[in-house]
Amino acid sequence: MFRVVVADDDADIRALVAIAMRRAGIELVADVATGDAALAAIRQHVPDIVILDVSMPGMTGLEVTAEIRADESLTGIRIFLLSAGVTEAAIQAGKDAGADEYLIKPFSPRELASRISDAIKQWSAE
Amino acid sequence: MSVITAIKNFFIGGSPIAKQSATIGFFSAAVLLTLLLPELQFSSIVLAWSGTLALLLATALAVICSISPPIAHLAILVPCIDLLAIGALRAGVGVHGTLFSAILVLPVVWLASENGKRYIAIATIGSSVAIMLPYIVAVAVPSDPTEWLRGVFTPAVFGVAAAIINHLSNTSRGQLASIHRLAEEREVMLRGAVDYTERLRENEEALRAADRLTRSVLDAVTEQSVIGTDQTGLIDVWNPGAERMLGLAARDAQGKRYVHEFHIDFELQQRSKELNYPPGETVLNPGFSALVESARLGRPEVRHWTYVRADGSILSVEVAVTRRVDETGSTVGYIFVATDVTQALEVSRLKDEFVGLISHELRTPLSSILGYLELMSDDDENPLSDEQLQYLGVAERNAHRLLRLVGDLLFTAQVGSSSFTLDTAVIDVVPVVVASLESAGPNAANAGVSLVADVGADVVLVDGDSQRLGQACDNLISNAIKFTPRGGTVTVAVSTTATHVVVSIADTGMGIPAAELDQLFERFFRASTATRAAVPGVGLGLSITKAIVVAHDGELDVESEEGVGTTFIMRLPRKRS
Repeated sequence: MFRVVVADDDADIRALVAIAMRRAGIELVADVATGDAALAAIRQHVPDIVILDVSMPGMTGLEVTAEIRADESLTGIRIFLLSAGVTEAAIQAGKDAGADEYLIKPFSPRELASRISDAIKQWSAE
Repeated sequence: MSVITAIKNFFIGGSPIAKQSATIGFFSAAVLLTLLLPELQFSSIVLAWSGTLALLLATALAVICSISPPIAHLAILVPCIDLLAIGALRAGVGVHGTLFSAILVLPVVWLASENGKRYIAIATIGSSVAIMLPYIVAVAVPSDPTEWLRGVFTPAVFGVAAAIINHLSNTSRGQLASIHRLAEEREVMLRGAVDYTERLRENEEALRAADRLTRSVLDAVTEQSVIGTDQTGLIDVWNPGAERMLGLAARDAQGKRYVHEFHIDFELQQRSKELNYPPGETVLNPGFSALVESARLGRPEVRHWTYVRADGSILSVEVAVTRRVDETGSTVGYIFVATDVTQALEVSRLKDEFVGLISHELRTPLSSILGYLELMSDDDENPLSDEQLQYLGVAERNAHRLLRLVGDLLFTAQVGSSSFTLDTAVIDVVPVVVASLESAGPNAANAGVSLVADVGADVVLVDGDSQRLGQACDNLISNAIKFTPRGGTVTVAVSTTATHVVVSIADTGMGIPAAELDQLFERFFRASTATRAAVPGVGLGLSITKAIVVAHDGELDVESEEGVGTTFIMRLPRKRS
């Protein structure tokens, strides 16, 4: 079973993502409210998937992403960014930081589960 | 002036009475001498007084001719009458009359000085008649044949003298005419010179006034720097705004500094690189060509730059560069008008931050609302009743409405701060319009409005952002449906011209008052017909649609008649294959 760490400063969003993950058959190993906690959980659990909010207290989602990409022991982790930023610049900043997917809030839990499932199938095929 | 010249001018240019004055003087002297000297006796008092009377008559004529120019030509009769008068006096004095023969010289000279050879003959014949008058009027009889010779010889001498005088007079007259002509020419030239001087003075004054105006305008511009340079960038204009903005006095800048010295080298190099190192790039003034390249090609340019002040500090400016030309249109330099945009950039940054914050703060709770609504309606383990699903539908629809409003606000802010970008590609417009029609179908059906499509099947290519163009079509079609009463029709048509694709959305709705059409595309404007009919909305849709169309180099027009309907016409440039 694939494992996921979720980080968002909004508890309702974390719960929403957790339900979507459960429905997609993905194990939630940690859900945290800050970027620093997210990085610690990621280093502890080394999950397959990380879902990060861009705007969080402390380290932002972009900074956590950059840390993951800079850490060789975390190679292969798929990163999904969640953000309310809808501008081209915001999306490009996410991609530049090293995220695999960029989802704009509000997002559909059904769509999130679907996109992660599609991504899993793609990785399995690789 | 010599005596000869004076006499010459007297006879050529003098008035008749002036010419006559000498004859009067000598004639009077002759009469007085005859009366006073006992040796002289009047042989014929009648002839003597006839001569005197004739002289008075001639004098009277001279006076009249002198004061009455219209009859001045009759003055020539005066010397003729004088000759007869002198002849009569000589005849009246008898044998001593020859004493006064010399007086004849005066009228002879007068006649000879007139313009024309005939006056030589008149003078000769006249003098002959005067000399021979005693014999003509039979108061004397020639004593021998030599008496007759006197009437020929003396007049012949007078005739030769008259010819010489006539010639000299003609010569003098010619010279006088030349002098007059030269004097007139000199007068004309003098007048011309005076006029030219006057015009020069006026032009100089006008130039001074224009210079004062330019100077006062430049001095009045204290919030913008105005810098003028020659073609190499050497500064020759530096207004008080430039002094204030760049912290350098005009005397230290004009003729001493180059404009590119107040720029950051890196920016100039970058611009130069963008322009592929424009011609004119020299070692002497590296970067200057990058500053003026567009203006040099005749395209005034406004661009953001960073100025470096005299104390080394920097400030962000927006610089408009234009060409300076001479009277032949050749470039002689450039004008740089710079506005400090530091504050504007800060405002823009704060606005972006605010928009980002609002966007985040509104979209995050909406994520929860929409997400949990979806979870509830998708819960297969605990399915909801139809009534509950209906309630959820209402909540979901309104949450989406709120989301659209947030999106519109964000987009409007992006347009306002010029941070709005298009993701353009070569696209077919028809599928974009068809997709909007399909998504509007349920709304139209609910509103009882017929949605008619006239889009054809031909591929119509444009350079465009399909998502944004779809948003524009969605806005126009949903607006048309909203403003059309039940039973009405909304017709969406796509047609083409040689250069454009035309998308028209026509409704049979309530229409827009003509007086409000100009404001229709302004942010937050709502037509009075819309507010009266309580049609929901905040007045952002059309301004967003217009911004999208304009960003595609297109046009958005509207035609409307209150109570009849409205047609929006979107024209987009076609992609040239």
